[in-house]
Amino acid sequence: MSAERWKEDEALLESLRKGAPGAVDELLRLYQGKIFNLAMSILKNESDAEEAAQDVFMTVIRKADTFQGNSAFYSWMYRICVNTCLMRLRGKRRNDTVSIEEFMPVFTDEGMHASPMDDWSKEVERDALNEELGRMIRKYTEELSEKYRVVFVLSDVEGLSNEETAKILGLTVPAVKSRLHRARLYLREQLSRYLREGKAG
Amino acid sequence: MNCKELAYMFADYFDGTMDPELREELDAHIAMCEPCMNFAKTYHALSDKTRRLRQDIQYEIPPEVRNRLETFVRAAALKYPEKVKEYRDQVERERRGKVADLLKAAIAGRLSSVTALLVETHCVACPECREYFSGLLKASNPVSVAPPKVIDSHVTLLLESLPPDEEFFLA
Repeated sequence: MSAERWKEDEALLESLRKGAPGAVDELLRLYQGKIFNLAMSILKNESDAEEAAQDVFMTVIRKADTFQGNSAFYSWMYRICVNTCLMRLRGKRRNDTVSIEEFMPVFTDEGMHASPMDDWSKEVERDALNEELGRMIRKYTEELSEKYRVVFVLSDVEGLSNEETAKILGLTVPAVKSRLHRARLYLREQLSRYLREGKAG
Repeated sequence: MNCKELAYMFADYFDGTMDPELREELDAHIAMCEPCMNFAKTYHALSDKTRRLRQDIQYEIPPEVRNRLETFVRAAALKYPEKVKEYRDQVERERRGKVADLLKAAIAGRLSSVTALLVETHCVACPECREYFSGLLKASNPVSVAPPKVIDSHVTLLLESLPPDEEFFLA
């Protein structure tokens, strides 16, 4: 995280604690897009994400006073968001995810690649494909169960370090890495199939 | 090392945390194995594209959601300090009521034995309270004005030091 963002967060936290005018507007300006995005990537439903975001901001405003400051402000807020969303997910039907095992690389008994391995890395360098690729990566991410999805979104999409992601989710770094790797294997496999089978389908 | 092992170990290789000897082994395998070379290249490409296409992958907050959220959070945040103030006012009202009740009970000679003992002990050490309480008893009028600040705060401390659920006056 940049020193600038750190400073901005510190100032924001201070003014929230004091109840300074404009503190809430600043909080919204800096974070409502990020919190909505994170809530959407966990809940995948706009009205759920909106309600979750409301809860997150209310919790942040209420608890700004008691925030210890031993983690970064934004990671505290992300943790509140993740917990709020996971609580909302509990008890909901979750049959819209794909079993990740079906899309892991396949190997022969000797441990050789059994499925075709095309090199599409050059093909995707063309910027013309970007919009479509972004859409496909989002679609395949949505198919992951939230266990993998949240890690992938925080680490690879948001660009947080594995340590930061681990802190937010209350996981160990090896656990984050292992989930992240499986999520990437899944997405790599799905993208391979998509690119191989033609983009029309 | 075979392709399967390589695929499952690739995360450490990718983020640069792999032990250098193992890394050399992986490099040697990749150099000789076309499927693994393609696997490595496309794993990189996926990660690279994910980072670059962040804007496309992320969810844009729709303007109407943004508006509603802003309205909601601002309104709730405005009400929040009021709620806190309301709560504090109520606590303060209750405290003042209790202080007044204790003084009334003292005048009427109806302090519970524990409370009477506490008041007495305190008055030995505190000239202000001693004077105030003896004045009260002499006047034996109901307290009409709020006690001075010092007395108020000492009586509050005294009330707080009572055992929980202890009634400070006799029924």
